Amino acid sequence: MTASTQVPVTVLTGFLGAGKTTLLNRILTEQHGRRYAVIVNEFGETGIDNELVVDADEEIFEMNNGCICCTVRGDLIRILGGLMKRRDFDGIIIETTGMADPAPVAQTFFVDDDVAARTRLDAIVTVVDAVNLATHLNEAHEAAEQIAFADVILLNKTDLADTAAIAAVEARIRTINPYAKIVHSARCAVPLDQVIGLDAFSLERVLEVEPDFLTSDHDHEHEEEITSISLAADQPLDPDRFQFWFGQIIQRFGPDILRAKGILHLAGEDRRYVMQGVHMLIEANFLGPWPPGSRISKLVFIGRNLDTMNLAEGFASCQVD
Amino acid sequence: MSGGLTLDPSSLLGSGPTQIERRARHMDIGAVPVCAGALGETIWLACGDGQLRVFGPDGAMTPHKAHRGAILSMAMVPGEDALLTGGDDGRFLRVAGDGTVAELAHHPRRWVDHVAAGTGGRIACSVGRAVHLHDGDGQVHALDHPSTAGGLAFDAKGGRLAVAHYGGVTIWSKEKRGWKPATLKWAGSHTGVTFSPDGRFVVSTMQENAMHGWRLRDKADLRMSGYPSRVKGWAWAGALPWLATTGADQAILWPFDGIKGPMGRSPLQLCWSVPSLVTAVAAVPGREIVLAGFATGQVVFSEIDAMAEPRMVKRSAGAPVIVLTCTPGGRLLAADEDGCMLWADLSAI
Repeated sequence: MTASTQVPVTVLTGFLGAGKTTLLNRILTEQHGRRYAVIVNEFGETGIDNELVVDADEEIFEMNNGCICCTVRGDLIRILGGLMKRRDFDGIIIETTGMADPAPVAQTFFVDDDVAARTRLDAIVTVVDAVNLATHLNEAHEAAEQIAFADVILLNKTDLADTAAIAAVEARIRTINPYAKIVHSARCAVPLDQVIGLDAFSLERVLEVEPDFLTSDHDHEHEEEITSISLAADQPLDPDRFQFWFGQIIQRFGPDILRAKGILHLAGEDRRYVMQGVHMLIEANFLGPWPPGSRISKLVFIGRNLDTMNLAEGFASCQVD
Repeated sequence: MSGGLTLDPSSLLGSGPTQIERRARHMDIGAVPVCAGALGETIWLACGDGQLRVFGPDGAMTPHKAHRGAILSMAMVPGEDALLTGGDDGRFLRVAGDGTVAELAHHPRRWVDHVAAGTGGRIACSVGRAVHLHDGDGQVHALDHPSTAGGLAFDAKGGRLAVAHYGGVTIWSKEKRGWKPATLKWAGSHTGVTFSPDGRFVVSTMQENAMHGWRLRDKADLRMSGYPSRVKGWAWAGALPWLATTGADQAILWPFDGIKGPMGRSPLQLCWSVPSLVTAVAAVPGREIVLAGFATGQVVFSEIDAMAEPRMVKRSAGAPVIVLTCTPGGRLLAADEDGCMLWADLSAI
């Protein structure tokens, strides 16, 4: 491994008792020949079976870059920088506390140049308790945030809930996050390739995950604080109009938009324009040609108060006349 | 060497390795270099594999095992043949010039992020938010901060300790009844700190692409911004003195003379050479010289003079040069991110 190799980082979130530590110990003890450095929180559960364990203490820093919602985890910048001085591990796992906001963790990988150069966010994996999720969602906003940010949701303790209850929990998860891959498990027994080595934050991966476009039609039995909206446009988008509209949305509503992902057909461009972001931090690029057939632009937002942003009308108006 | 440094006459326009490069010692140490310093004509390099690699006056390298994990920081003890190191094994060590290691403190499961040495036997290390200040008389003071210490520095007299952290810098001063804090506030995360040699100014590096300074007499702010990337390295250079910094496509040198220091003045920009960013700077003690290492592997030398023509020390491309140090007698060590070293005796050419 040279200094130019990017080390993959997996972020584990989930409420206390959902099974994060069980999953972590499974990842660490399974015979896969890989060595992990683990960053745990000082208030976290103990009993982690690993040589290289570092205590973090959740220091949230605001950036002086004029971006009001741009916060990073100062402790992670420091710890990741320190770990990069060693070369004796293959990946890093960050276990957050049950009450942690995942945004500053994710934004750390966008904002800090050194972190971005030497590590890459592999995936945010959220462990959810199939029995108690409803209670968690009703009691603390962090539960919904952790689902909103997830690339993979490990729906754990499915052995303790009946089929109807599991279906109801899954429907609530889908209302919040139509993108995440949901994996069922009992005692976190899940093939590890479902949770690590996913490269879920790369733009290429955005192309592979088909959002659940039925979400908006689900019955709203529970009023979720965080929801999602999936938009589609069959006419090509005017690049200037789209950039202006999207920029304005991010500027005005960035704090409420937790995640955004899109695959867009820009007028006059044969390649797919792929974007994804966290709050106001958006990365985008042209990635490969469209497959044969129709070219439909798709854009998904996950956040709060999405119904006040006129997203559907705004997106529709970006189409060429 | 009896006169000054005689340097390779390689101009920027040449091609291929410079004369210095051809005569230099090259080696791959297989570890990440962290920082380096000189004890006399010997250069000590702290590494991410826990070893100190010592380059003698003839360039011969001897490894010394110091920490079990990575060495995170190192400081040379002023006026003594010794240095301090902190590691991710939680140990705070004093290493003598003969290689003898003494453990000063052990903080199990924690990291000793930063170390600093002052005069009069005063030393300090930081472990998260706490700074452990060892007074010359054997007392250890635990100084607490609002967030993790980003850097430590004593002033030249050893009577003040600056600690960088989120939201500013705390200056601890030795008074009759112990160490008293005073806070210098500036929004943002401060990741390193240094006193000017005369002790009148303190300057911090930041998470943003800027440095920030204060005149200590009245806490007046010095804004040192305009960098295209983060400033991660600095060196006090020349008699004025100048604060040479990384982070731009040239070495940026701020003047710290006069009442105002760099307030309202432009910095000198030296070592222009390649379209790349400066990732390490070094001064040569007692000389009007600055050296800059680049993200593309080159090392460039310049006299501290606005009209000076930069000279190539190392022209061959490579990984970013992240450690650069030079002894008073002109022995140079340049280390890149991938662990490739160049050791050269500039005085012998």
